Amino acid sequence: MSRDARQPVDRECLLLESREILSRIWRVVLEVPPGSYAAASPGQFVQIEVSPGSFPLTRRPLTIDSLDSPDRIQVLFEETGAGTSLLAAVRPGAAVRVLGPLGKGWDTSPGRWLFVGGGLGAAGFPFLASRVDCSLVLLGASTAGRLLPLPGLAVLTATEDGSVGFHGLVTGLLDRVDWRLVDHVALCGPVPMMRAVVRAVPPGMSEKTQVSAESRMGCGWGACEGCSVPAADGGYLKCCTDGPVFPASDLDWDRWKGVRG
Amino acid sequence: MSGPAWRFWGRDFGSPIVLASGTAGFGLELARMGCLEGVAAVVSKATTLEPREGNAPPRVVETRFGLLNSIGLANPGVDLILSEVLPLAGELPCPLIVNVAGRTAEDFRAVVERLEESPVPFGYEVNVSCPNVDAGGAAFGADPCVVGRISAMVREVTRKPFSVKLTPNEGSIARAAVAAEDGGADGVTVCNTFLGMRLDWRTGRPLLDRGSGGYSSPALLPLTVARVHAASRSVGIPVMASGGVSRGEDILELLAAGAALVQVGTWLMRRPSAPAELLAEVLDLMAEP
Repeated sequence: MSRDARQPVDRECLLLESREILSRIWRVVLEVPPGSYAAASPGQFVQIEVSPGSFPLTRRPLTIDSLDSPDRIQVLFEETGAGTSLLAAVRPGAAVRVLGPLGKGWDTSPGRWLFVGGGLGAAGFPFLASRVDCSLVLLGASTAGRLLPLPGLAVLTATEDGSVGFHGLVTGLLDRVDWRLVDHVALCGPVPMMRAVVRAVPPGMSEKTQVSAESRMGCGWGACEGCSVPAADGGYLKCCTDGPVFPASDLDWDRWKGVRG
Repeated sequence: MSGPAWRFWGRDFGSPIVLASGTAGFGLELARMGCLEGVAAVVSKATTLEPREGNAPPRVVETRFGLLNSIGLANPGVDLILSEVLPLAGELPCPLIVNVAGRTAEDFRAVVERLEESPVPFGYEVNVSCPNVDAGGAAFGADPCVVGRISAMVREVTRKPFSVKLTPNEGSIARAAVAAEDGGADGVTVCNTFLGMRLDWRTGRPLLDRGSGGYSSPALLPLTVARVHAASRSVGIPVMASGGVSRGEDILELLAAGAALVQVGTWLMRRPSAPAELLAEVLDLMAEP
């Protein structure tokens, strides 16, 4: 059994840029081995070692935010704990170990796409928008300062505190969508938000909705089954290799509780 | 074979590194990534008589110094493993040891009896120590009489070698190892994960859906060294060490404690290329004057 060229590679990658684009939200550009991400698709992710030491023990799974050139990937992350703070502290010129590209990305079928994102869930949208025709983005966040910039895309915003855009949850924007002009929906955000959107889209639309799932991850390459999410037909699917992008109808939205703690 | 060799179950291996159950699937993902270099053998995920969905998520939670997991022996069951997985695993560049679990003592015998239909398993690892299931699991491994009985039942149905994977959580690991040997086992694996739990102190709710889980960490190395040291001095059958390895020197320390081979688990999840890296470290250290 020989190594498959489409398989992920694990390499020390030069960190080229690191910038705090919003409070505690960082954008990092990494130089990846030539050709290793040529076949990377939107929705795939990387596993990054945030420390060369033993702790934190596991890597941080981060969605590929954009593929600037065949040898440069960009990822976005929020400092939420010790691991992501260590990654935020890595300065340009240093190397970090990156395993990728991992997982199954979006099914980029032709047609008009509606993107619906909550918080950092919109991080992968620029990469997806480079491959499909995105006619509108519905973007929600807790407050204006947490809305990710999505240059070049038509965006309707909602904030929970009403500081900008619609006052309320992103689901409140769904009735502004002309669903006759939507062929596909790309959905990414916290599980309660995604559940609300999946249940609120018009009949027939949920079959055209794909979601990018989030789960606490062990290995990220299909072995440990730590990241499993509930499947609609019973049992579980591996977030890391069956996903992280799934047809919304493949998941059991009643049983799926999302990340805890 | 040039270079050092490690003898186990009648074979010479160019590496002392075995992949621990539950961290490498059936080795197929690592094979596709080209990461089986440096691997003496793969221990598969647990195989049970019936398919098991596994526990509700969240199934893993990282702690400051380790990882808690509660997978719950998720596997497609012995029928599907025989028909679809083992034929692929037969192509691996290294032997496969199939990990076997059961809800009852009789289950272990039945699963091994079925697996005997395949020529692929090099041997078995009998898992009497999973902390993440209600029936069977660690409750078996805590009682040396049960360990001995399950070992004897497995012995009845196979001539292939098998190791009994013991629990660190209750009882004397040396007595459990002796019971496995008396029951006819060809080795013991020392040991499974340590029972652990994390809570959100604000709500009091556990971070794993099931509540408790199995704890693994490089910080556990001294606990494994102590158990391997005790077990290997109590039995004549070989000991496979498991727990806490993240460096080549950890492997050499466990070999010095009496292990015949050493398993790598959680560190492999972080570093799929760990086997080759760790073997290189081991060989470098052994070559030091």
